[in-house]
Amino acid sequence: MADIKEKELTAPVAADETAENVVEAAESAASEPEKKKNVPKINTIEAKHSKIKVFDIINYAVFIILTLIIIIPIWKVISDSFNAVGVYQFRLWPNKPTFGGYATILTTSKLFRPLLNSFITTIAGTLLGLLMATLGGYVLNQYDMPGRSFLSYFLLVTMIFSGGMIPEYLVMKQLGLVDNMWILVLKHGMNVYNLVLMKNFFEGIPASLYEAAKLDGCSPMQIFYKIVLPLSKAALASIGLMFAVTVWNDYSTVQIYITSREQANFQYMLRVMVMDGDTPTTAYKVSQSTLYNAGIVCAILPFMMAYPFLQKYFVTGVNVGAVKE
Amino acid sequence: MKKRLVALLMSTVMTAGTLTACTSESGGSTEVTVTDEEGNEQTVNVADTQTGTVNEETGTYEVTDLYIVVDGTLTATVDNGQDAFIEQWEAAVGEKLGHEVHLHINQVDHSDYANTISRLLTTGEPGDGSFPDAMIMSASMYRDYQNTGYLWDMAGAYDNAEFQARIADGMESINLNMRTADGKQYGFAPTYGNGCVTYVKASWFNQYAEATDGINTIEDVDTYEEYYDMLKFFKDVKVQDADGNEVQTGGKTYGVVAAGFGKLDEAPYINYMPEFWQGAYPSFYQKDGVWVDGFAEQATVDALDRMATAYADGLIDPDTEDFGTKQAREKWFSNDQTTSEGVFTYWAGTWLRTLTDNMSKQGVDNDLGDERLLQLPPIKEIEDSWGGYLNREAPVWVISDDGDDNSLREQAIFDALFETMLDGDTVQTLWTYGAEDVHWSTKAESFTTNPDDPDKKKDYEYADGEFHLKQTPNDPNTVWKKNHLDPALTIAPLTNGFVTDDALIDQGNAFFVAHCVDAPTAPSCQTLTDNLEALTTDKTTLMVEVVTGEKSAADAIAEYNDKWGAVSQQIIDELNAQGSEAPAAQ
Amino acid sequence: MSKKKNQVNTNKKPLGMRIWNNRGFYLMFLPVFIFVLIMYYWPMLGIRYSFFVYKGRDIHWIGLQHFQSMFMEPEFWTAFRNTLVISIVKLLLNTFVAVVISIFLNEMTSLFCKKFVQTVIYLPHFMSYAVVAAIFTLFLSTSSTGMINETLKEWGWIQNSIDFLHSTKLWQPVFYIINLWKETGWGTVIFFATLSGISPDLYEAADIDGATRLQKMRYITLPALANTIIIVLILNIAKVLNIFEPVFVLYNNRVFEVSDVVSTYVYRKTFMTSLPDYGYTTAVGLFKSVVGCMLMLASNWASKKIRGRGII
Repeated sequence: MADIKEKELTAPVAADETAENVVEAAESAASEPEKKKNVPKINTIEAKHSKIKVFDIINYAVFIILTLIIIIPIWKVISDSFNAVGVYQFRLWPNKPTFGGYATILTTSKLFRPLLNSFITTIAGTLLGLLMATLGGYVLNQYDMPGRSFLSYFLLVTMIFSGGMIPEYLVMKQLGLVDNMWILVLKHGMNVYNLVLMKNFFEGIPASLYEAAKLDGCSPMQIFYKIVLPLSKAALASIGLMFAVTVWNDYSTVQIYITSREQANFQYMLRVMVMDGDTPTTAYKVSQSTLYNAGIVCAILPFMMAYPFLQKYFVTGVNVGAVKE
Repeated sequence: MKKRLVALLMSTVMTAGTLTACTSESGGSTEVTVTDEEGNEQTVNVADTQTGTVNEETGTYEVTDLYIVVDGTLTATVDNGQDAFIEQWEAAVGEKLGHEVHLHINQVDHSDYANTISRLLTTGEPGDGSFPDAMIMSASMYRDYQNTGYLWDMAGAYDNAEFQARIADGMESINLNMRTADGKQYGFAPTYGNGCVTYVKASWFNQYAEATDGINTIEDVDTYEEYYDMLKFFKDVKVQDADGNEVQTGGKTYGVVAAGFGKLDEAPYINYMPEFWQGAYPSFYQKDGVWVDGFAEQATVDALDRMATAYADGLIDPDTEDFGTKQAREKWFSNDQTTSEGVFTYWAGTWLRTLTDNMSKQGVDNDLGDERLLQLPPIKEIEDSWGGYLNREAPVWVISDDGDDNSLREQAIFDALFETMLDGDTVQTLWTYGAEDVHWSTKAESFTTNPDDPDKKKDYEYADGEFHLKQTPNDPNTVWKKNHLDPALTIAPLTNGFVTDDALIDQGNAFFVAHCVDAPTAPSCQTLTDNLEALTTDKTTLMVEVVTGEKSAADAIAEYNDKWGAVSQQIIDELNAQGSEAPAAQ
Repeated sequence: MSKKKNQVNTNKKPLGMRIWNNRGFYLMFLPVFIFVLIMYYWPMLGIRYSFFVYKGRDIHWIGLQHFQSMFMEPEFWTAFRNTLVISIVKLLLNTFVAVVISIFLNEMTSLFCKKFVQTVIYLPHFMSYAVVAAIFTLFLSTSSTGMINETLKEWGWIQNSIDFLHSTKLWQPVFYIINLWKETGWGTVIFFATLSGISPDLYEAADIDGATRLQKMRYITLPALANTIIIVLILNIAKVLNIFEPVFVLYNNRVFEVSDVVSTYVYRKTFMTSLPDYGYTTAVGLFKSVVGCMLMLASNWASKKIRGRGII
């Protein structure tokens, strides 16, 4: 009896936590729904508690299965990546443990180089993306600026209309971006959706702050980096992560634009490895599948590691952008 | 609303205006006087490009940057000493030409090679920094491109080449056979084609021989029936698992694996599964001088039926359907033999050594040493139809044509790249064995492979002046074998006396030479080029459907005739017309 | 874009003055402007190739013939049909399952468990399609190394391996399942945000009325989500034609008839054909762009009707 009451107590808190995340990230976003105060209520109706229990058990069981469905494939990959032999059956623990798969990736230049490229392009792409999104978002917030709506349409058109595969390819070729890993950075440099998110975040910053700064004689640029950016750290983190995920995970750009191994990123090499079976000759005694799986782990590891700590930022990006009414 | 519309329109118009302004561009060009073959002087307009300059005094074109695209056959890859190869090539060729030349290698060693070439050629222009000046093409790719205007007709350059004097007897035909009916030659084959032979794991075969009356040596397997029995036996053999323990596989192993049941996008299509295809040839080929569509023939139906039966019996590894060559061979010699296969048909000669070494590296059948693999002589059905294993048409090097009315650039590329490739000496050695003191050396040295493994440990010792191959740069446990040109296959042998004495490779080459016949010539006509992609896809799908048991072979061929009959007939007509009259100029 | 509170009274000053006053902002926008101009508008000029034959060095005007041959091409219609089917089924399935999960997860009483489940189900979203395809290709392999087939055989459920990714019957279902695995968890984020906005008073009132938990879910939670569901569907319907990577990484030439979508069709005709006609593929791309544009406008209109603001 007592523990049921306790559960009833915690439920609303849980719901509220999520809401808080959203609001927190938006800092003082005025357009956000009002914070709901914790109003834990004690349920005095106890007659149905047996029914509740059955429901709970089923509910928990379903979610245990659900999480297993998600986790098992990932776990299996991790486990196989440490297993020197390539037996795939339902074995979830390496029977011949080895680090050879990872050692091969780190010591084979044609795998390591793409991994390095992935890191470089992700960092550069995130920075460029943030620069464009913040500059654009900030300027589009200047509602008294003549030509503002022209500029927003200028950006929005790119969202709904594009040149298509070959025209884009030919232009990139002219720009010298074919078979050049910087295409990965530039291709994702502008994301109008993220720019609009950024703009929405900026809107939450009280206008009085701008006015005060303006009176102090600050130029737009000064306001931008002295006031706007410091107040938008959470937004920068969220949107920066979105850029980082996009660039890191990009495979099709490489498939289309890059022909040589030296310029490829790791997603592409992984694909080539698994689909063409193109594994390097290795001094370590590991099977092909060990290499595949180690490759998969390397491709997901950076975000897997950052994810538990940054989950909040991952989630808020979507929430503030999409749910905002 | 209206205002927005105006803004929208304005943005479009404005940007379009800005952009058109910056799309036109021009490059410098020089008028030079050249002397043509008849001795007449003519003035031509030659554009300077990023890849070469026109020497105004001599009227010649000097290649300063050479962009080449290669596939995996350049074994000096980036992580295997390519830098040293380029450096030494630039030094040697620069000296020969008397001016600096930079070699840029774009190595596309994956299954997308043909598409990458197409993309590079069709979207680029000479001198744009990624347009290939020269590249490797398989025989089928070569046929596909020869009439497109992208390739340079090098017949004249080839005939006048300095290496002509060194071409070995009987090797002249390799390049001359590639010429079109009107004498144009768009490619250059520095080696002959090579082909595939069927390898059988000795440890598996020995078990079979022991258990079977009348089978003692591999030569005793000489009909399809006997071959099939052997595959059946291979379903259940004693092999070692990943830990080196001997296990009875009890049906988990397979008889044979390959990269595809038939590799219908690459001539000679049937070479990885010759025992099943036998006399069938699933593409257009010349039968008694007349072109026919081999895919629609009864022989193909029979071959597909054979494979379907073998597949249903579990003798063909199902992975064959998806595997590329690399996957197939990796699985074949993987350290875990419990799901492997006994038979693998693969390239002859050097590959016998490579496969053996790979098994050694994986610790498979270490007790057998260099006797790990047996070469199966062509079975009776192959002998009766073809006469032996197929020697494919050689892959060729081609030079891109820049589309202007002179051959200055192209001839310069030919001189810098092909002429030196077969110089019999320094540069040919680079292409054959790799870079000096990286891949090979003539200095005294001694090294040991597998120093930690007493079973596989091997010492090498060489005196000063003795030509020898060194350890593979990225794998010190194996000895380097060759670079791009196979010394056993080249049309003009080295004159500096650098040879390797590897008994196994010699044995492999000798075996192939004794058992090979030339593969049919690849066809080339407009309708085929236009439909090749779809045709190959459909044929592959049908083939796989038959083999995996979804369709009967007869139904599949009927379906093929239904959909492609008319096109096929048109192709045949076009091809047969080529023989009788001068080929249509494209 | 909505008019905002910080719009100030600007009509007092002359235009030239206002432009001058904002010069700092124009300067800040300049990099964005130039970047977008080069990366997005310049390629748009290439749309003219739709009306040309562009085959290697052979480039000449052809008018509308590419569109004509496109509409005559059965392969194109297969791709077009597949695009609609695959995108829409995927969208509906993912949304439906995400809603169900959100509702039931919302009922979970232990805060820790709830957080944990959320953390786990969001995970696959951050993997690339290349990675997900690699994982499932290995899993579903028909050889003796494929985990699913081998396990099913060991349990005696099947006799022979099932070739999941090469079967025209199974490819689409498998595709949907893989996409459910990857994206459904993430799809719940938006619904959770909505659920956290439901006033607890509503549930209290229902408790007082003696409502069961299922009744509460049916009459409070679900209606609260209805609006969000519609928004999600509208937002995504505009993008149905864009599907490329999820299909590209999983399809193969044996299942073209059920898996080929417009983007992959364009890709194949452009980059996987020797001597392609780039004019034709640009034309197909243009057609896709135009239809996509219309869908976007339609969904924008629908969005305005339903929630009072557009999607863009």
